[in-house]
Amino acid sequence: MSETVLQVKNLKLYYHTSKGAVKALDDVSFDLKAGETLGLVGESGCGKTTMGTGLLRMPTPPGRFEGGQILVEGRDILPLPEKEIRKDFRWEKVSMVFQGAMNCLTPVYTIGKQMMETLQEHRSMEKAEAQELIKEYLSYVGLPADVTSRYPHELSGGMKQRVVIATALFLKPRLVILDEPTTALDVIVQAQIINLLKKLKKTFDLSFIFITHDLALEAEVSDRICVMYAGKIAELGTNEQVYGGKGPAHPYTERLLAATPRLRRKVESLSFIPGTPPDLIAPPSGCRFHPRCPRVYERCRMEEPPVREIEPGHLAACWRCFE
Amino acid sequence: MSNGIDGDVILRVDDLKKHFTPHQGFLQSFGKVRKVVRAVDGISFEIRRGEIFGLIGESGSGKTTTGKLVMKLIDATSGRILFNGRDVTSIGHEETKEYRRQVQMIFQDPYASMNPRFKIRDVLEEPLEIHRITADRKERETRIVRALTEVKLTPPEDFMGRFPHMLSGGQRQRVATARTLILNPAMLVADEPVSMIDLSTRAEILHMMKDVQRDLGLTYLYITHDLSTARYFTDRIAVMYLGRIVEMGKADDIIDHPAHPYTRALIEAVPEPATGKVDVVKELPISGEIPSPSNIPAGCRFHTRCPYMKPECKEEAEPELMDLGSGHYHACRRWKEIG
Amino acid sequence: MKLEDAAYRLKEFWGEFRKERNGLVGLGILIAAVLAVLLEPLILPFPEASSRWRDITYWQDNSKSAPPAWTNLFTARKSAVALTLWDSRTEDRGPGEKAYIFSYDYEFSRAPYDLLLRGEGSGTIPLTVTVRRPDSNAVEIIRYVLQDLAGQTFRLSFTNEGKANALEFLRKTERPENAAQIATMSYGVPEILFSRAEPDFVKGPKPLAGRYEIEVTAGFTDPRASIEHMEIVVVGRVSGILGTDSMKRDIFSGVVAGMKWALMIGLLTSIVSVLVGVFYGITAAYFGGRVDSVMMLIFDYFISLPVLPILIVFSAVYKPSIWTIIAALILFFWVGPVKTVRSMALQIKEETYIEAAKALGAGHGRIIFRHMAPLLIPYSFASMALAVPGAIVYESSVSLLGLGDATIVSWGQILHDALGSGAVLSGLWWWVVPPGLLIAVMGMTFAFLGFAMDKILHPKLKTR
Repeated sequence: MSETVLQVKNLKLYYHTSKGAVKALDDVSFDLKAGETLGLVGESGCGKTTMGTGLLRMPTPPGRFEGGQILVEGRDILPLPEKEIRKDFRWEKVSMVFQGAMNCLTPVYTIGKQMMETLQEHRSMEKAEAQELIKEYLSYVGLPADVTSRYPHELSGGMKQRVVIATALFLKPRLVILDEPTTALDVIVQAQIINLLKKLKKTFDLSFIFITHDLALEAEVSDRICVMYAGKIAELGTNEQVYGGKGPAHPYTERLLAATPRLRRKVESLSFIPGTPPDLIAPPSGCRFHPRCPRVYERCRMEEPPVREIEPGHLAACWRCFE
Repeated sequence: MSNGIDGDVILRVDDLKKHFTPHQGFLQSFGKVRKVVRAVDGISFEIRRGEIFGLIGESGSGKTTTGKLVMKLIDATSGRILFNGRDVTSIGHEETKEYRRQVQMIFQDPYASMNPRFKIRDVLEEPLEIHRITADRKERETRIVRALTEVKLTPPEDFMGRFPHMLSGGQRQRVATARTLILNPAMLVADEPVSMIDLSTRAEILHMMKDVQRDLGLTYLYITHDLSTARYFTDRIAVMYLGRIVEMGKADDIIDHPAHPYTRALIEAVPEPATGKVDVVKELPISGEIPSPSNIPAGCRFHTRCPYMKPECKEEAEPELMDLGSGHYHACRRWKEIG
Repeated sequence: MKLEDAAYRLKEFWGEFRKERNGLVGLGILIAAVLAVLLEPLILPFPEASSRWRDITYWQDNSKSAPPAWTNLFTARKSAVALTLWDSRTEDRGPGEKAYIFSYDYEFSRAPYDLLLRGEGSGTIPLTVTVRRPDSNAVEIIRYVLQDLAGQTFRLSFTNEGKANALEFLRKTERPENAAQIATMSYGVPEILFSRAEPDFVKGPKPLAGRYEIEVTAGFTDPRASIEHMEIVVVGRVSGILGTDSMKRDIFSGVVAGMKWALMIGLLTSIVSVLVGVFYGITAAYFGGRVDSVMMLIFDYFISLPVLPILIVFSAVYKPSIWTIIAALILFFWVGPVKTVRSMALQIKEETYIEAAKALGAGHGRIIFRHMAPLLIPYSFASMALAVPGAIVYESSVSLLGLGDATIVSWGQILHDALGSGAVLSGLWWWVVPPGLLIAVMGMTFAFLGFAMDKILHPKLKTR
């Protein structure tokens, strides 16, 4: 494949609370090639969104990086001063569609004004020129130019999400992080947005990190899937490796997939994962998934499994998979 | 409407309408003509005793409004709601209270549907207080314990002293279910009860609700946008579009053999966890988004988005629900040609 | 709400509150103020200050416009401190004669204004007062016969009764060429008594420090004769903790006595008006529609009334008692929380659990009192605390204009008297600063408490 856009090496990001450090990201490594979509999946509270904001180097307080590297086009961004990050990196190279961002458009300004603000923050250009650019990007996401003079409440959810996506693409980033971009949308609109994203990816030669809790959706968009559990990578494999006939390697992925309801198949009983994700201040000993794992054995309780390649390009952190 | 399958009808909704007139200021009322929002625009269905009936639709389809109408949380503009053969749309205060003892509701958001200052015990005691079930402390305690056991929150004593925020989403939804069960209702209206619960535990709650339904012989009106869980959970479903039912019948029947183009599109759009679809742009039979209920298209209300639209769909009167046999109803005049 | 529940919440609240430094300062001051009110009888140097504030006779033996005693710390020339000598030694001097001997340690540069002999007597008693000085001179200063007393108080001023004797004592040591100046000098009896017996006194007396003995000899030949509670009052140049005003009143007693009124005006007004306002707001929000419109119209009328002018006119016309003033304040203050409460209640009303309660069959009363009102309790507490300073200041403003309740002492009234007597112009800062400062501090205390509570309890900021 082509060049590597993003490389995350042993990234650690902890939230420091009065009760102790919440290890939201604990030693996470992966990389992303140009033009590739990497899916981040997992239950709520497993570190997906933390990863998203972390990659923009703007962890939500009280989060702090505790180690590791984030290499964007080969350059580690963690030690850079904030000024440089803002000038060269955030929104310029990596942008993000935040979860629920479409509901965070300011209700008192027109869409055009809000998009203009983002643009002028980063580029000094004539107003007319900027307006042209805005209209151009609106047309990329399938919106008519007159949207600029409308207020957020006049738009439907799908249209607002398109505006947010257009805003994220403005400055021609290499990588766009999409955090649950379709969660609040209806299924038909969701399918439309997914189609749009696929189209934009080709047009702009983008890389995506697609964060969602829905494995079924992930199957339709991501080239590779990274399953996270309790701040760590449980499994990382290609779409084929995870969803293909052989089935996923890690029991967590397996259970998660089984719990995903399927429309086209009549089932008598849906399966689920009993229990809840662990407390990340004091995670369980050994493998963090062992209290909920159906295939647990002695070693899982004692030793933490490393992330290891089990077949070319397929990583997993499970003692069972190494056997 | 005839009964396809035997079984007595517990709830019958008859040409129910709810039109909202948007609130306007004094000065504004001189201006343009008020736009009426036709949230529910003439729907009829029947729910049989012991059945799980699903109401499916996108946001703006009027499914939640229908739920609130059935709960009598809002008043209907016209039409009838017959509960056990009795019209409940125009009953008085005391009768409404009695009706609400028999028809209970589970809300979408398990975080918001309980007063954050109430302990679980208080949450469950409230319906008993409201309906003055019993003043005896011990008797109340027994009922609370029984309800918690019913929803498998065990041991119940562990939960009674906690506040809602100390529970997970799934546990809260169990408490919400227990709160409805404590009054021994005949029917539950469940408005998206699992949509805010993590996928991994969603099924657990649905199992619990189904068990309760079987154990106690309850009837559910299950409102959701999610066809996948509806297929598993419900016996029959009705698909709503812009305040009307466009298709109704057995869940499996509808999902496997949809007759209405809207239902087809809905099914088509649901993602499937299978490989090999990343580079494919999904063919969507319909485009655009659901129009505003304040501006419902003339003729068949789906015609603006329908790939099979013919001039008559726009010009002629809206098609009524038609029976395909075996209780499968739809409202598309061109179903034969497109089937 | 159940008791253990309340205790739990209180504990939780305290845990949060402890972290608010301003709140703690406020709480500390409030506790001190409440203690001051409770222990008032023990603290007050003049126990009847509260009830006899405007009774001139109660204050007549005090010094006039005396600065606080502690001002001595900042000057080289110390002034005599106001003092009452009530401890005396009794000696029998032959048949029917008794001597009461008071000791007075004089360590000052500036003699007191006067000394007073005070007591309660019966019958006819001849009295002699002799001052024995540390330089072993004895001055017989007063000879006086108390005539036909029947238990009433007698007061003998050294300046009034002993001038002749004192001057005679002075003349013994003064140079003859200064004799003419004695008649015109500004020094009086106290200066003569407490200065060295040296020539050139008239040019500037030199203080004589040391132990003085004031001996009062009384003759008890009259069978009815008796003397009780005899004491010597030193009318000092400096007096008490906060000095005295031009009406000789002890300001410290005044401000302490005013504390309870300030607290009461503040708390009563705020509690009643916030309760009214909160329920008004909830009711308007909950019922909405026409009820809301009418209630908000009434509210708008009240909130647009200018409080102070109306209060002044009202007070000027009716000469109100403090209770009427409080009632009038409530009439204006209840609007305070209405708007916020209404908007909060509008939000709460939309919460799903309110809908859920309705679906369970709950009635209006239950929803308002069980579900909505408890959520507004924190805000109510905070706005109560924030309404207190306003109430105190308004009462003070009315009193400052001389329109307050004349039967009580309030800080505003003390200020009013001070301004009326030109205290600022004559430099009597100890009369103006304490009540003014206390009004400000009390306001600040409750504002601190209010802000701290607001921060902790505001439902919007609190994670559910």
